[in-house]
Amino acid sequence: MITKSKIDELLLKRIDNLELSDSLFELKHAMFSAQRKVSVDRIKLAMESWQETEGEDIEIRRAKLFKKILEQVPIAIYDFDIIVGRETEHLVGAPLFLDQVGDAIPGLWDGTDGLDLNQEEKEIVKECSRFFAGKTAPDHVMKVWHSLVGTWAEDIIEAKGSDPTPDSGYFPGITCRALWEKILSKGMRGMIAEAEAGIRRFQEMKETDINKYYFWQAAIIVCQAMIDYAKRYAKLAISLAEKEPDPARKKELYEIAEICEWVPENPARTFHEALQCMNFIIVGRGLEAMYPVLIGRMDQYLHPYFEQDIREGRLTPERAAELVGNAITLWGMKTVVQVGKTQKQTHQFSYSINSINLSGVDRKGNDASNELSYLILHMVGLLRLSSPTVLFNWHSKTPRWLLLKALETNYLTKGGIPLFENNDHVVASFVKDGTPVEVAREWYGQGCVTPILPTKIDHNGSEGKGAVNVAFILDLTLHRGVSQITGKKIGIDTGDPRSFKSFEELYEAFKKQYRYVINRVLWLGTVAQSVEPQYLRFPFNSCIVGPECMEKGQDIMITDETHSYGISDRAIVDTADSLLAIKKLVFDENKLTMSELLEAIDSNFEGEKGEKIQQMCLKAPKFGNDIDEADYMVRDVGEFSASVIYAYQNPFEQPCKISREGLSWHYFGGLGVGALPNGRKAKEPLNDGSISPMRGMDKLGPTGVLRSALKAGFEESYASCLNQKFSGSVMQSAESREKLAVLIETFFNNGGQHIQFNLVDTAELLDAKAHPEKHRDLVVRVGGFSAYFVMLSPEIQDDIIYRSEYGC
Amino acid sequence: MSSLITNIQGYSIHDGPGIRTVVFLKGCGLECIWCSNPECIFPYPEIGFFKNLCTKCGQCASVCPNQAISAKVGQLPVTNREICCGCGACSAVCVQEARVLYGKAMKVDEVFESIKADQLFYQASGGGITVSGGEPLLQPKFVSELLRKCKEAGIHTCVETSGYAPESALRQVLPFTDYMLFDLKLLNSDLHRCYTGKPNELILNNAKIVTSSGLEVLFRMPLIPGINDDPQNIKETADFLHSLGGKTIGIQLMPYHELGKGKYESLDKLYRLAGLSTLEPEQVETVQEMFKARGISCTISR
Repeated sequence: MITKSKIDELLLKRIDNLELSDSLFELKHAMFSAQRKVSVDRIKLAMESWQETEGEDIEIRRAKLFKKILEQVPIAIYDFDIIVGRETEHLVGAPLFLDQVGDAIPGLWDGTDGLDLNQEEKEIVKECSRFFAGKTAPDHVMKVWHSLVGTWAEDIIEAKGSDPTPDSGYFPGITCRALWEKILSKGMRGMIAEAEAGIRRFQEMKETDINKYYFWQAAIIVCQAMIDYAKRYAKLAISLAEKEPDPARKKELYEIAEICEWVPENPARTFHEALQCMNFIIVGRGLEAMYPVLIGRMDQYLHPYFEQDIREGRLTPERAAELVGNAITLWGMKTVVQVGKTQKQTHQFSYSINSINLSGVDRKGNDASNELSYLILHMVGLLRLSSPTVLFNWHSKTPRWLLLKALETNYLTKGGIPLFENNDHVVASFVKDGTPVEVAREWYGQGCVTPILPTKIDHNGSEGKGAVNVAFILDLTLHRGVSQITGKKIGIDTGDPRSFKSFEELYEAFKKQYRYVINRVLWLGTVAQSVEPQYLRFPFNSCIVGPECMEKGQDIMITDETHSYGISDRAIVDTADSLLAIKKLVFDENKLTMSELLEAIDSNFEGEKGEKIQQMCLKAPKFGNDIDEADYMVRDVGEFSASVIYAYQNPFEQPCKISREGLSWHYFGGLGVGALPNGRKAKEPLNDGSISPMRGMDKLGPTGVLRSALKAGFEESYASCLNQKFSGSVMQSAESREKLAVLIETFFNNGGQHIQFNLVDTAELLDAKAHPEKHRDLVVRVGGFSAYFVMLSPEIQDDIIYRSEYGC
Repeated sequence: MSSLITNIQGYSIHDGPGIRTVVFLKGCGLECIWCSNPECIFPYPEIGFFKNLCTKCGQCASVCPNQAISAKVGQLPVTNREICCGCGACSAVCVQEARVLYGKAMKVDEVFESIKADQLFYQASGGGITVSGGEPLLQPKFVSELLRKCKEAGIHTCVETSGYAPESALRQVLPFTDYMLFDLKLLNSDLHRCYTGKPNELILNNAKIVTSSGLEVLFRMPLIPGINDDPQNIKETADFLHSLGGKTIGIQLMPYHELGKGKYESLDKLYRLAGLSTLEPEQVETVQEMFKARGISCTISR
């Protein structure tokens, strides 16, 4: 309670009363309505640089490439910018990264890429694609895999059995946050000094590892490039100021110029400088690698600047709101062009993964919530941003006032912002694996729920072992190792299920199949870890993200014990529900023979008999209804899967962590899985989240789902993902939010890991009206009344759709 | 001992303090024309039919023991309500769940077990069970037994009533009740009879008994445009509340909504308020102000 008395409640009240300023409204409006533009400037410069540096060391080449881009890429400052800097000159633009992923833009050659480029730009993209094709790290990984296992790796990727692919751009350390405290307090000049010290040490101690020497040289090049890049903005701001007729904006532009002259070269002195410094680093990283560097626990490392500026009267809450609003809008609108085989069937353009973490505890375990956490939540709510993700780091001492503010923001944004994650579980997981508790408390969430330690470099996928599709492996088991969708043999022959005498025999076959697939995926991924750094380095990312890179003189791409990797074993609930359906229908109750079931599955439940069997499958017990055998089946599959993954011996001795995240993978992953015994048809989406019930199959409402989730446990996973969908009234009033807060607290106090609330949107309501059979579980609540949407009369459905659209 | 239950609804947040589970009993002495739970009015099982979910497979007709359903291929089945005995044979085979059995006989213990499952959430929020319906006080034995078990298990108990029940029934349930939601619809007894089918003297008398028992009670008023939102009724309601004295003089407004309409159609019942428009928030606030002006604290259920 000591912390609570320190909270400035008057300031919180002032924050509550803050409204969206005109300039923020203008910024948001402009960015939301802007055409998202692909820019070829970066990739053109990258190709030129790569040609110029042919024959030099890879670290130096990558540093020079970075420098050339930062020196020459066109820049812009828009009228409503207070925080300046974007990766392209466009309001919302996306650079290309073919130098890292090669010829990986889906549809480029047959004209179906969907990228809005003119003829000249398209030629540049094609030229760069041709130039980098076959030369990049992913290309080499695929070549090595091919020579090791033939087409197996391609086959499992095609069947959506594992993902992402090496050409997805998710290289080691890409999904980490920057070392913000260090960057803000030392500046790039401080980084350069460290690199120079490394070089001096090398000379004095007569060291011999030339890679270190090259790394430090590269570090100096990239940090200096970053400084010079900021000064380009300073110059631009001055030239704009000279022409600016509005005296207020003129003054502001001069101020911007001054700040860009100072940061990121030097330590930030004010809240404004700190945010501007962050944005430069984010843009710099966004020009080196495909995804923006994570923001992390922004309310912690920025709080000293905020607090000091407010205390000394340099900053009003209004101005702070303006700055925070400006920064998070910029960060939320980061756009990437999706590349690679994994991404092909999702979307071409997407907002980047990024995440702001709020609340949590300090190293001593005390509540870390503060006024800045509150302000950030307020601004996310006012701006109604769907990106960046906000992770609310809940812990048992999280104050209610902040939790209620988070729920208010959730109500305003409507969709899952913020997500709520249980710090106590995450910390306990890290501690269990040998991390000192003080370090564990500093965890932060990657783009979604996956926790990372600031002392580690996380790997998340370019090695193809970011995620495995557990339901796909059940599919293989039911078909003697052959994928129902692709018809290719990817697993081993674990016997004809028709010959199995007991459920145990089937479960054993599944486990055998699982061990085979997982161990292969992990092995190939580990091989990829040693292939990638031969062809790709990230000197700038190493400086700003790698906790020990500067000291060691080692690029972030080179794997050692400071690296960790996460894996998500997905679709466990689908798998467990399916296994249980087989157990009940075929073995316990003898309602079906295995032949009949398999025939129905192979025909995708078509025909009269097929449909009848599908209904029997759908009626089998399902996770999410507080039914012990269904919930414990999920638990058992989860524990088994974890035991296989944790048993894998990694030569780098990095701890592997299982984190069962969700994202929007269930659509993509579903495409690779044939019809399942839980009643789901072929290629349909799998369950969303990792511990959410099958769609439409939870009948007890939220508390029933939570009880099931608690029983399934997933204690072996660092995080899991439970999505809940409500109609607006569940969060509309302060009183309702109080009750929702209790729901979260109760769930987390009893071991829950994550929960996220989405409000039902208009599109879903419209779909539910058209396809009621797919939306049986959609509940609408009004005051004390709740009803299944599909059971409302059509006019009332229309009325609710109308209200949802117009927010009344 | 068992009762017909139409629904047990977890995470109910508008029917009493905290997070609650509401048990809906079947059978009510009133037939309010605005009722949003028409499936709870009659004290026997009924079949609801949602035609938008029906695939016209004809299964329902083939299993009906009374031949109450006529189904032609490619056409929606028609139920003869006079022969239907509500046995649920049709709803059991309906894979689309287009046919729903309203009224499942459940024993006290069965209901109690499903209530108890959420105890975790009641404890943290100060919530518990709310017995609603229908009119729970028409089944005093079942309700008092259920609530007694809940109280023994440390679960907070709430009864939501129309007040239309014998005084003896009310007195039987009161000792096991921690909190009561009590509807006041119309103070003019003739109008009350006109819109609900019954006069209101019994209800008003029960309201006095509840208040004088010292039980914590929240009076609630379904606010139906053109029927009970007029100044006269508001004045009379306010006067009545003042006459009660008691711990809390307050009322909660529950603005009319049409969400129950689909259920009327499913029961082949006429929705008598068709075409009545719902109240705008400002209109509801006007009524709220009228109560406040008369010294009654007034909230709006949202």
